[in-house]
Amino acid sequence: MNFDPSLPDEGINVSRSHPLREALLLVLGVIGVTVAVVASIGFAVDWVAPLIPPDAEVYLFADSFDPAAEQAEPDAARVEALRGILDRVSAHWPDSVYPFRIQIWDEAQPNALALPGGTIAVTTGLLDTVTSENELAFVLGHELGHFHNRDHLRGLGRGVGMTLVMFAVGIGGGGGAAQLAGIAGQLTQRGFDRDQESAADAFGLGLVAAEYGHTAGARDLFEHLRQSDDGSALSGYLSTHPLHQDRIDRLEAVARAAGWPLTGKRSALDSVLRAEPTELAAPGQSAPDE
Amino acid sequence: MDAQIALLQIGIPLALLLLGYFIGSAVERRHYASIREQELRWRSLPAVNFRTVPRGWTVEDSTLLMGNVVISVDYFKRFLAGLRMLFGGRVKAYESLMDRARREALIRLKVETVEQGYHALVNVRMETSRMAGARGGNSVAGVEVLAYGTALKLRSRPT
Repeated sequence: MNFDPSLPDEGINVSRSHPLREALLLVLGVIGVTVAVVASIGFAVDWVAPLIPPDAEVYLFADSFDPAAEQAEPDAARVEALRGILDRVSAHWPDSVYPFRIQIWDEAQPNALALPGGTIAVTTGLLDTVTSENELAFVLGHELGHFHNRDHLRGLGRGVGMTLVMFAVGIGGGGGAAQLAGIAGQLTQRGFDRDQESAADAFGLGLVAAEYGHTAGARDLFEHLRQSDDGSALSGYLSTHPLHQDRIDRLEAVARAAGWPLTGKRSALDSVLRAEPTELAAPGQSAPDE
Repeated sequence: MDAQIALLQIGIPLALLLLGYFIGSAVERRHYASIREQELRWRSLPAVNFRTVPRGWTVEDSTLLMGNVVISVDYFKRFLAGLRMLFGGRVKAYESLMDRARREALIRLKVETVEQGYHALVNVRMETSRMAGARGGNSVAGVEVLAYGTALKLRSRPT
Protein backbone atom coordinates (compact mmCIF):
# COMPACT_ATOMS: atom_id res chain seq x y z
CA MET A 1 0.00 0.00 0.00
CA ASN A 2 1.23 3.40 -0.88
CA PHE A 3 0.76 6.02 1.77
CA ASP A 4 0.62 9.46 0.21
CA PRO A 5 0.14 12.06 2.90
CA SER A 6 -1.79 15.17 1.91
CA LEU A 7 -3.02 18.18 3.82
CA PRO A 8 -6.76 18.82 4.19
CA ASP A 9 -8.34 21.40 1.91
CA GLU A 10 -9.44 24.60 3.55
CA GLY A 11 -12.88 25.91 2.84
CA ILE A 12 -14.67 22.60 2.32
CA ASN A 13 -15.99 22.08 5.82
CA VAL A 14 -16.09 25.78 6.59
CA SER A 15 -18.20 28.20 4.55
CA ARG A 16 -16.40 31.19 3.18
CA SER A 17 -18.78 33.94 4.25
CA HIS A 18 -17.99 36.93 6.36
CA PRO A 19 -19.62 36.58 9.78
CA LEU A 20 -20.46 40.27 10.01
CA ARG A 21 -22.41 40.11 6.78
CA GLU A 22 -24.36 37.11 8.02
CA ALA A 23 -24.91 38.88 11.34
CA LEU A 24 -26.34 41.91 9.57
CA LEU A 25 -28.71 39.79 7.50
CA LEU A 26 -29.94 37.78 10.47
CA VAL A 27 -30.34 40.80 12.74
CA LEU A 28 -32.30 42.69 10.09
CA GLY A 29 -34.38 39.57 9.53
CA VAL A 30 -35.25 39.18 13.19
CA ILE A 31 -36.03 42.88 13.61
CA GLY A 32 -38.12 42.89 10.44
CA VAL A 33 -40.12 39.82 11.40
CA THR A 34 -40.66 41.03 14.98
CA VAL A 35 -41.80 44.48 13.86
CA ALA A 36 -44.12 42.95 11.26
CA VAL A 37 -45.67 40.49 13.72
CA VAL A 38 -46.05 43.01 16.56
CA ALA A 39 -47.50 45.63 14.21
CA SER A 40 -49.96 43.09 12.79
CA ILE A 41 -51.05 42.13 16.28
CA GLY A 42 -51.42 45.84 17.09
CA PHE A 43 -53.65 46.46 14.09
CA ALA A 44 -55.69 43.32 14.72
CA VAL A 45 -56.24 44.40 18.33
CA ASP A 46 -57.24 47.89 17.18
CA TRP A 47 -59.80 46.30 14.91
CA VAL A 48 -61.24 43.93 17.54
CA ALA A 49 -61.31 46.23 20.57
CA PRO A 50 -64.22 48.45 19.51
CA LEU A 51 -66.30 45.34 18.84
CA ILE A 52 -66.30 44.39 22.51
CA PRO A 53 -69.18 46.18 24.25
CA PRO A 54 -68.22 48.57 27.07
CA ASP A 55 -70.57 46.80 29.45
CA ALA A 56 -68.44 43.68 29.19
CA GLU A 57 -65.34 45.70 29.97
CA VAL A 58 -66.96 47.25 33.03
CA TYR A 59 -68.15 43.84 34.18
CA LEU A 60 -64.68 42.32 33.84
CA PHE A 61 -62.57 45.07 35.36
CA ALA A 62 -64.69 47.23 37.66
CA ASP A 63 -63.87 45.23 40.77
CA SER A 64 -60.37 44.00 40.06
CA PHE A 65 -58.73 47.39 39.51
CA ASP A 66 -59.78 49.32 42.55
CA PRO A 67 -56.42 50.51 43.85
CA ALA A 68 -55.49 50.33 47.48
CA ALA A 69 -57.38 52.86 49.53
CA GLU A 70 -54.21 53.99 51.29
CA GLN A 71 -52.99 55.53 48.05
CA ALA A 72 -56.10 57.64 47.75
CA GLU A 73 -56.19 60.93 49.57
CA PRO A 74 -58.97 61.07 52.12
CA ASP A 75 -59.67 64.79 51.63
CA ALA A 76 -63.28 64.59 50.52
CA ALA A 77 -63.55 68.26 49.60
CA ARG A 78 -60.83 68.04 46.94
CA VAL A 79 -62.25 64.82 45.55
CA GLU A 80 -65.70 66.44 45.43
CA ALA A 81 -64.39 69.50 43.59
CA LEU A 82 -62.60 67.30 41.07
CA ARG A 83 -65.73 65.18 40.74
CA GLY A 84 -67.66 68.34 39.85
CA ILE A 85 -65.30 69.15 37.00
CA LEU A 86 -65.44 65.53 35.79
CA ASP A 87 -69.25 65.52 35.78
CA ARG A 88 -69.38 68.72 33.76
CA VAL A 89 -66.84 67.51 31.22
CA SER A 90 -68.27 64.00 30.85
CA ALA A 91 -71.72 65.45 30.29
CA HIS A 92 -70.54 66.18 26.75
CA TRP A 93 -70.04 62.43 26.23
CA PRO A 94 -73.58 61.22 26.84
CA ASP A 95 -73.08 57.65 25.60
CA SER A 96 -70.59 56.62 28.25
CA VAL A 97 -71.56 53.61 30.34
CA TYR A 98 -68.59 53.63 32.71
CA PRO A 99 -69.19 54.32 36.42
CA PHE A 100 -66.48 56.95 36.75
CA ARG A 101 -64.73 57.33 40.10
CA ILE A 102 -62.21 59.96 41.07
CA GLN A 103 -59.18 59.38 43.25
CA ILE A 104 -56.41 61.74 44.28
CA TRP A 105 -53.02 60.15 44.88
CA ASP A 106 -50.38 61.79 47.03
CA GLU A 107 -47.40 61.86 44.66
CA ALA A 108 -45.03 64.69 43.74
CA GLN A 109 -44.78 63.71 40.09
CA PRO A 110 -47.60 65.27 38.03
CA ASN A 111 -49.57 62.42 36.57
CA ALA A 112 -53.08 61.25 35.79
CA LEU A 113 -54.21 57.70 35.16
CA ALA A 114 -57.23 55.98 33.74
CA LEU A 115 -57.68 52.59 35.38
CA PRO A 116 -59.72 49.81 33.84
CA GLY A 117 -63.28 49.80 35.14
CA GLY A 118 -63.82 53.54 35.38
CA THR A 119 -61.45 54.94 37.99
CA ILE A 120 -59.54 58.11 37.15
CA ALA A 121 -56.63 59.00 39.43
CA VAL A 122 -54.92 62.38 39.60
CA THR A 123 -51.75 63.04 41.60
CA THR A 124 -51.27 65.94 43.98
CA GLY A 125 -48.24 66.84 41.88
CA LEU A 126 -50.53 67.55 38.95
CA LEU A 127 -52.91 69.58 41.10
CA ASP A 128 -49.90 71.68 42.14
CA THR A 129 -48.86 72.24 38.54
CA VAL A 130 -52.12 73.51 37.06
CA THR A 131 -53.25 77.10 37.48
CA SER A 132 -56.73 77.09 35.91
CA GLU A 133 -59.75 74.82 35.79
CA ASN A 134 -59.37 74.48 32.04
CA GLU A 135 -56.14 72.54 32.44
CA LEU A 136 -57.70 70.06 34.86
CA ALA A 137 -60.69 69.70 32.59
CA PHE A 138 -58.38 68.81 29.72
CA VAL A 139 -56.56 66.23 31.86
CA LEU A 140 -59.84 64.59 32.81
CA GLY A 141 -61.02 64.79 29.21
CA HIS A 142 -57.83 63.04 28.11
CA GLU A 143 -58.43 60.22 30.57
CA LEU A 144 -62.03 59.99 29.40
CA GLY A 145 -60.61 59.69 25.90
CA HIS A 146 -58.79 56.51 26.97
CA PHE A 147 -62.08 55.00 28.02
CA HIS A 148 -63.78 56.18 24.85
CA ASN A 149 -61.10 54.64 22.64
CA ARG A 150 -61.03 51.37 24.63
CA ASP A 151 -57.32 51.81 25.23
CA HIS A 152 -57.23 49.38 28.14
CA LEU A 153 -58.45 46.56 25.99
CA ARG A 154 -55.98 47.44 23.27
CA GLY A 155 -53.13 47.52 25.73
CA LEU A 156 -54.17 44.18 27.15
CA GLY A 157 -54.43 42.62 23.70
CA ARG A 158 -51.06 43.94 22.63
CA GLY A 159 -49.51 42.72 25.87
CA VAL A 160 -50.80 39.22 25.26
CA GLY A 161 -49.55 39.35 21.68
CA MET A 162 -46.10 40.50 22.73
CA THR A 163 -45.86 37.75 25.32
CA LEU A 164 -46.68 35.13 22.70
CA VAL A 165 -44.09 36.52 20.27
CA MET A 166 -41.40 36.62 22.94
CA PHE A 167 -42.26 33.10 24.02
CA ALA A 168 -41.95 31.83 20.47
CA VAL A 169 -38.66 33.63 19.86
CA GLY A 170 -37.28 32.44 23.18
CA ILE A 171 -38.00 28.85 22.32
CA GLY A 172 -36.67 29.06 18.77
CA GLY A 173 -33.58 31.17 19.17
CA GLY A 174 -31.23 31.76 22.05
CA GLY A 175 -31.11 34.51 24.65
CA GLY A 176 -29.58 36.98 22.23
CA ALA A 177 -32.39 36.60 19.74
CA ALA A 178 -34.99 37.02 22.48
CA GLN A 179 -33.32 40.21 23.69
CA LEU A 180 -33.12 41.63 20.18
CA ALA A 181 -36.72 40.78 19.39
CA GLY A 182 -37.77 42.17 22.76
CA ILE A 183 -36.19 45.54 22.07
CA ALA A 184 -37.60 45.74 18.55
CA GLY A 185 -41.05 44.69 19.74
CA GLN A 186 -41.09 47.20 22.58
CA LEU A 187 -40.13 50.10 20.34
CA THR A 188 -42.86 49.10 17.88
CA GLN A 189 -45.37 49.02 20.72
CA ARG A 190 -44.33 52.50 21.80
CA GLY A 191 -45.54 53.78 18.45
CA PHE A 192 -48.99 52.35 19.12
CA ASP A 193 -48.98 53.78 22.65
CA ARG A 194 -48.11 57.24 21.34
CA ASP A 195 -50.92 57.09 18.79
CA GLN A 196 -53.30 56.18 21.57
CA GLU A 197 -52.20 59.17 23.60
CA SER A 198 -52.69 61.51 20.65
CA ALA A 199 -56.19 60.16 20.11
CA ALA A 200 -57.00 60.64 23.78
CA ASP A 201 -55.64 64.19 23.53
CA ALA A 202 -57.94 64.95 20.62
CA PHE A 203 -60.97 63.55 22.44
CA GLY A 204 -60.16 65.56 25.56
CA LEU A 205 -59.79 68.66 23.41
CA GLY A 206 -63.27 68.11 22.00
CA LEU A 207 -64.79 67.83 25.47
CA VAL A 208 -62.99 70.96 26.67
CA ALA A 209 -64.07 72.92 23.59
CA ALA A 210 -67.66 71.83 24.19
CA GLU A 211 -67.54 72.85 27.85
CA TYR A 212 -65.65 76.15 27.71
CA GLY A 213 -65.92 77.21 24.07
CA HIS A 214 -62.14 77.28 23.63
CA THR A 215 -59.10 75.04 24.03
CA ALA A 216 -56.61 77.27 25.86
CA GLY A 217 -56.35 74.87 28.83
CA ALA A 218 -54.57 72.20 26.79
CA ARG A 219 -51.69 74.44 25.78
CA ASP A 220 -51.34 75.83 29.29
CA LEU A 221 -51.06 72.33 30.73
CA PHE A 222 -48.26 71.29 28.42
CA GLU A 223 -46.41 74.53 28.92
CA HIS A 224 -46.47 73.90 32.66
CA LEU A 225 -45.45 70.26 32.31
CA ARG A 226 -42.67 71.11 29.90
CA GLN A 227 -40.74 72.84 32.66
CA SER A 228 -39.68 69.44 33.99
CA ASP A 229 -39.05 67.67 30.70
CA ASP A 230 -35.70 67.08 28.99
CA GLY A 231 -37.32 66.88 25.55
CA SER A 232 -34.55 65.26 23.49
CA ALA A 233 -35.68 63.61 20.29
CA LEU A 234 -34.34 60.24 21.47
CA SER A 235 -36.36 60.35 24.67
CA GLY A 236 -39.38 61.17 22.54
CA TYR A 237 -38.89 58.08 20.41
CA LEU A 238 -38.37 55.86 23.43
CA SER A 239 -41.26 57.14 25.53
CA THR A 240 -44.87 56.07 25.58
CA HIS A 241 -46.15 59.65 25.41
CA PRO A 242 -45.25 62.05 22.61
CA LEU A 243 -43.07 65.01 23.49
CA HIS A 244 -44.86 68.00 24.89
CA GLN A 245 -44.13 70.24 21.91
CA ASP A 246 -45.36 67.54 19.53
CA ARG A 247 -48.56 67.24 21.51
CA ILE A 248 -49.07 71.00 21.46
CA ASP A 249 -48.53 71.13 17.70
CA ARG A 250 -50.87 68.24 17.06
CA LEU A 251 -53.60 69.66 19.30
CA GLU A 252 -53.40 73.04 17.61
CA ALA A 253 -53.80 71.32 14.27
CA VAL A 254 -56.85 69.40 15.54
CA ALA A 255 -58.37 72.57 17.00
CA ARG A 256 -57.81 74.51 13.83
CA ALA A 257 -59.34 71.75 11.70
CA ALA A 258 -62.42 71.61 13.94
CA GLY A 259 -62.73 75.36 14.19
CA TRP A 260 -62.26 75.61 17.97
CA PRO A 261 -60.73 78.85 19.27
CA LEU A 262 -57.23 78.45 20.69
CA THR A 263 -57.48 81.22 23.25
CA GLY A 264 -60.13 82.32 25.66
CA LYS A 265 -60.89 83.20 29.24
CA ARG A 266 -59.52 80.71 31.78
CA SER A 267 -61.86 79.62 34.54
CA ALA A 268 -60.40 79.97 38.02
CA LEU A 269 -59.47 76.89 39.99
CA ASP A 270 -61.60 76.02 42.97
CA SER A 271 -59.58 77.18 46.00
CA VAL A 272 -59.89 73.80 47.67
CA LEU A 273 -57.87 72.28 44.82
CA ARG A 274 -55.00 74.74 45.04
CA ALA A 275 -51.70 73.65 46.56
CA GLU A 276 -51.39 73.44 50.34
CA PRO A 277 -48.98 76.08 51.73
CA THR A 278 -46.68 73.42 53.20
CA GLU A 279 -46.16 71.64 49.88
CA LEU A 280 -43.35 72.64 47.50
CA ALA A 281 -44.54 74.90 44.72
CA ALA A 282 -43.51 74.12 41.15
CA PRO A 283 -40.82 76.52 39.78
CA GLY A 284 -42.37 79.67 38.40
CA GLN A 285 -45.61 79.05 40.21
CA SER A 286 -47.08 81.88 42.24
CA ALA A 287 -47.68 81.16 45.91
CA PRO A 288 -51.26 80.18 46.61
CA ASP A 289 -53.19 82.86 48.41
CA GLU A 290 -54.62 81.88 51.74
CA MET B 1 -32.87 59.22 32.18
CA ASP B 2 -35.14 56.84 30.34
CA ALA B 3 -33.10 57.31 27.19
CA GLN B 4 -29.85 56.56 29.02
CA ILE B 5 -31.22 53.33 30.48
CA ALA B 6 -32.42 52.25 27.05
CA LEU B 7 -29.03 53.06 25.53
CA LEU B 8 -27.36 50.92 28.19
CA GLN B 9 -29.80 48.12 27.47
CA ILE B 10 -28.79 48.13 23.83
CA GLY B 11 -25.20 49.25 24.31
CA ILE B 12 -23.95 46.61 26.73
CA PRO B 13 -24.98 43.56 24.68
CA LEU B 14 -23.68 45.32 21.56
CA ALA B 15 -20.33 45.96 23.22
CA LEU B 16 -20.12 42.33 24.33
CA LEU B 17 -20.92 41.20 20.81
CA LEU B 18 -18.22 43.35 19.26
CA LEU B 19 -15.73 42.21 21.89
CA GLY B 20 -16.65 38.60 21.20
CA TYR B 21 -16.32 39.14 17.49
CA PHE B 22 -12.89 40.75 17.47
CA ILE B 23 -11.29 38.65 20.17
CA GLY B 24 -12.95 35.49 18.93
CA SER B 25 -11.77 36.07 15.36
CA ALA B 26 -8.21 36.64 16.55
CA VAL B 27 -8.25 33.48 18.67
CA GLU B 28 -9.64 31.48 15.77
CA ARG B 29 -7.02 32.77 13.33
CA ARG B 30 -4.24 31.89 15.70
CA HIS B 31 -5.66 28.44 16.31
CA TYR B 32 -5.94 27.74 12.61
CA ALA B 33 -2.33 28.83 12.07
CA SER B 34 -1.22 26.42 14.76
CA ILE B 35 -3.38 23.64 13.32
CA ARG B 36 -1.95 24.04 9.83
CA GLU B 37 1.59 24.11 11.10
CA GLN B 38 1.07 20.94 13.12
CA GLU B 39 -0.74 19.11 10.33
CA LEU B 40 2.24 19.85 8.13
CA ARG B 41 4.61 18.52 10.73
CA TRP B 42 2.76 15.25 11.35
CA ARG B 43 1.43 14.55 7.91
CA SER B 44 3.71 11.58 7.30
CA LEU B 45 2.20 9.65 10.20
CA PRO B 46 -0.58 7.52 8.71
CA ALA B 47 -3.92 7.80 10.48
CA VAL B 48 -6.47 5.73 8.64
CA ASN B 49 -9.96 4.53 9.17
CA PHE B 50 -9.40 0.87 8.17
CA ARG B 51 -10.74 -1.59 10.70
CA THR B 52 -8.06 -4.11 9.82
CA VAL B 53 -4.33 -3.76 9.48
CA PRO B 54 -3.41 -3.23 5.82
CA ARG B 55 -1.61 -6.12 4.16
CA GLY B 56 2.12 -5.66 4.16
CA TRP B 57 2.31 -4.06 7.58
CA THR B 58 4.02 -6.21 10.20
CA VAL B 59 2.78 -5.25 13.62
CA GLU B 60 4.99 -5.61 16.66
CA ASP B 61 2.91 -3.78 19.19
CA SER B 62 -0.45 -2.05 19.40
CA THR B 63 -2.43 -0.01 21.87
CA LEU B 64 -5.46 2.28 22.08
CA LEU B 65 -4.61 5.96 22.10
CA MET B 66 -6.78 9.04 22.44
CA GLY B 67 -6.59 12.72 21.68
CA ASN B 68 -9.27 15.15 22.69
CA VAL B 69 -9.95 18.87 22.78
CA VAL B 70 -12.67 21.10 24.25
CA ILE B 71 -13.34 24.34 22.43
CA SER B 72 -15.83 27.05 23.30
CA VAL B 73 -17.56 29.61 21.12
CA ASP B 74 -17.39 33.33 21.70
CA TYR B 75 -20.45 35.41 22.50
CA PHE B 76 -20.80 36.71 18.96
CA LYS B 77 -20.93 33.23 17.42
CA ARG B 78 -23.42 32.04 19.98
CA PHE B 79 -25.66 35.03 19.24
CA LEU B 80 -25.43 34.37 15.50
CA ALA B 81 -26.23 30.70 15.97
CA GLY B 82 -29.25 31.59 18.10
CA LEU B 83 -30.60 33.82 15.35
CA ARG B 84 -29.90 31.17 12.73
CA MET B 85 -31.88 28.64 14.77
CA LEU B 86 -34.94 30.84 14.30
CA PHE B 87 -34.81 30.70 10.54
CA GLY B 88 -33.02 27.43 9.80
CA GLY B 89 -30.15 26.84 7.42
CA ARG B 90 -26.45 26.27 7.84
CA VAL B 91 -25.12 27.46 11.16
CA LYS B 92 -21.91 28.82 9.68
CA ALA B 93 -20.81 30.16 13.03
CA TYR B 94 -20.37 26.65 14.35
CA GLU B 95 -18.82 25.20 11.20
CA SER B 96 -15.39 26.57 11.97
CA LEU B 97 -15.75 25.48 15.58
CA MET B 98 -16.34 21.85 14.58
CA ASP B 99 -13.64 21.96 11.92
CA ARG B 100 -11.07 23.24 14.35
CA ALA B 101 -12.05 20.80 17.05
CA ARG B 102 -11.86 17.76 14.76
CA ARG B 103 -8.50 18.68 13.29
CA GLU B 104 -7.04 19.57 16.66
CA ALA B 105 -8.21 16.30 18.17
CA LEU B 106 -6.62 14.35 15.34
CA ILE B 107 -3.39 16.29 15.72
CA ARG B 108 -3.31 15.54 19.43
CA LEU B 109 -3.88 11.88 18.72
CA LYS B 110 -0.95 11.87 16.32
CA VAL B 111 1.27 13.72 18.78
CA GLU B 112 0.40 11.15 21.44
CA THR B 113 1.21 8.37 18.99
CA VAL B 114 4.61 9.77 18.18
CA GLU B 115 5.45 10.48 21.78
CA GLN B 116 4.65 6.92 22.76
CA GLY B 117 6.84 5.63 19.98
CA TYR B 118 4.22 4.19 17.64
CA HIS B 119 4.33 4.46 13.89
CA ALA B 120 0.79 4.39 12.54
CA LEU B 121 -2.85 4.63 13.52
CA VAL B 122 -5.65 2.41 12.30
CA ASN B 123 -9.37 2.40 12.99
CA VAL B 124 -9.41 6.09 13.79
CA ARG B 125 -12.82 7.27 15.08
CA MET B 126 -14.17 10.53 16.40
CA GLU B 127 -16.79 11.28 19.02
CA THR B 128 -18.38 14.68 19.54
CA SER B 129 -20.17 15.85 22.61
CA ARG B 130 -21.84 19.18 23.24
CA MET B 131 -21.28 21.32 26.28
CA ALA B 132 -24.59 22.84 27.29
CA GLY B 133 -24.59 26.54 28.02
CA ALA B 134 -25.83 28.36 31.08
CA ARG B 135 -29.38 28.39 29.84
CA GLY B 136 -29.52 24.63 29.61
CA GLY B 137 -31.12 23.03 26.60
CA ASN B 138 -30.73 25.42 23.70
CA SER B 139 -27.50 27.24 24.27
CA VAL B 140 -24.21 25.67 23.21
CA ALA B 141 -21.24 26.65 25.34
CA GLY B 142 -18.67 24.52 23.57
CA VAL B 143 -17.89 21.20 22.03
CA GLU B 144 -15.58 18.34 22.90
CA VAL B 145 -14.14 16.11 20.19
CA LEU B 146 -12.44 12.86 21.07
CA ALA B 147 -10.30 11.08 18.43
CA TYR B 148 -9.21 7.57 19.23
CA GLY B 149 -7.60 4.76 17.36
CA THR B 150 -5.32 1.77 17.50
CA ALA B 151 -1.67 2.78 17.44
CA LEU B 152 0.70 0.27 15.82
CA LYS B 153 4.41 -0.29 16.25
CA LEU B 154 5.63 -1.66 12.95
CA ARG B 155 8.73 -3.67 12.22
CA SER B 156 9.08 -2.00 8.85
CA ARG B 157 7.78 1.52 8.31
CA PRO B 158 5.13 1.79 5.59
CA THR B 159 6.25 3.42 2.35
